[in-house]
Amino acid sequence: MQAALRSSAIAVRNTLLQHVRVTVAAISLKTPVVLDDRLCYSSGHATYLDKSSVTDRILELVKKMEKVDPSKVAPEAAFQKDLLLDSLDTVELVMAIEEEFAIEIPDAEADKISSCSEAIEYVASHPAAK
Amino acid sequence: MALSWQIAKSTATKPPSASMEEAKHRVLDFFREACRALPVLMDTYNLDEVITQSELRSQIAAAFRKHSAVTNPKVVDMLVFKGKEELQDCLDHSKQRHHLISTYVVGTEGQISLKKLGTVDHGESHFLKNFYQSNLF
Repeated sequence: MQAALRSSAIAVRNTLLQHVRVTVAAISLKTPVVLDDRLCYSSGHATYLDKSSVTDRILELVKKMEKVDPSKVAPEAAFQKDLLLDSLDTVELVMAIEEEFAIEIPDAEADKISSCSEAIEYVASHPAAK
Repeated sequence: MALSWQIAKSTATKPPSASMEEAKHRVLDFFREACRALPVLMDTYNLDEVITQSELRSQIAAAFRKHSAVTNPKVVDMLVFKGKEELQDCLDHSKQRHHLISTYVVGTEGQISLKKLGTVDHGESHFLKNFYQSNLF
């Protein structure tokens, strides 16, 4: 009887798994690291974001800006030349990207970002981007 | 609190900008500082109920843009100094929530300006209207 119960339980489990999506999250071992006298927990390996999802998110952000014409937004668009944004708008956009991906871009790098493609490049190669 | 000390240190007197290029650089650096302080401010003053961080960032950019026509680098330095002073006050909690809401969330256009208030027409006659103005008409 035990065997019958077990086999029926297995059958139920299989049919359930066929219809229900169960996500398996990998538990990464987090070790505390002291940075600027704050404890930061970082996973052992660097996780890079997928470039297409980064592109989508950044283009969404750019389209949300009021001054931008949504039809001109493309992955190769330059902020100052194509989208006609001034330097203040460019900095605002870079800060919006920082907020979206929960990263901090140092000033030297931020000055270099002047087009969507450069922004996508930077975020895709940043290990801590979420 | 650490952030406010960093800003306090950076307000130490520097030589005035030699050119508009340098002044512009200072302005953009200060704008970045202000944007980085936004999460702290939203948390301190519970602004999540009234505005989003990106809206607030746009309002601050608009406040910067009001002075975009300035050509003298020393004036720009002075404006950046006053801006840093304002940011310092907000971070130290020297300001209160309603101050931030009326200057940044609602803005000056949202507040009722006395000039917009006209007189109410009670349907009085032409004679009475003039009479209320003066007795010589």
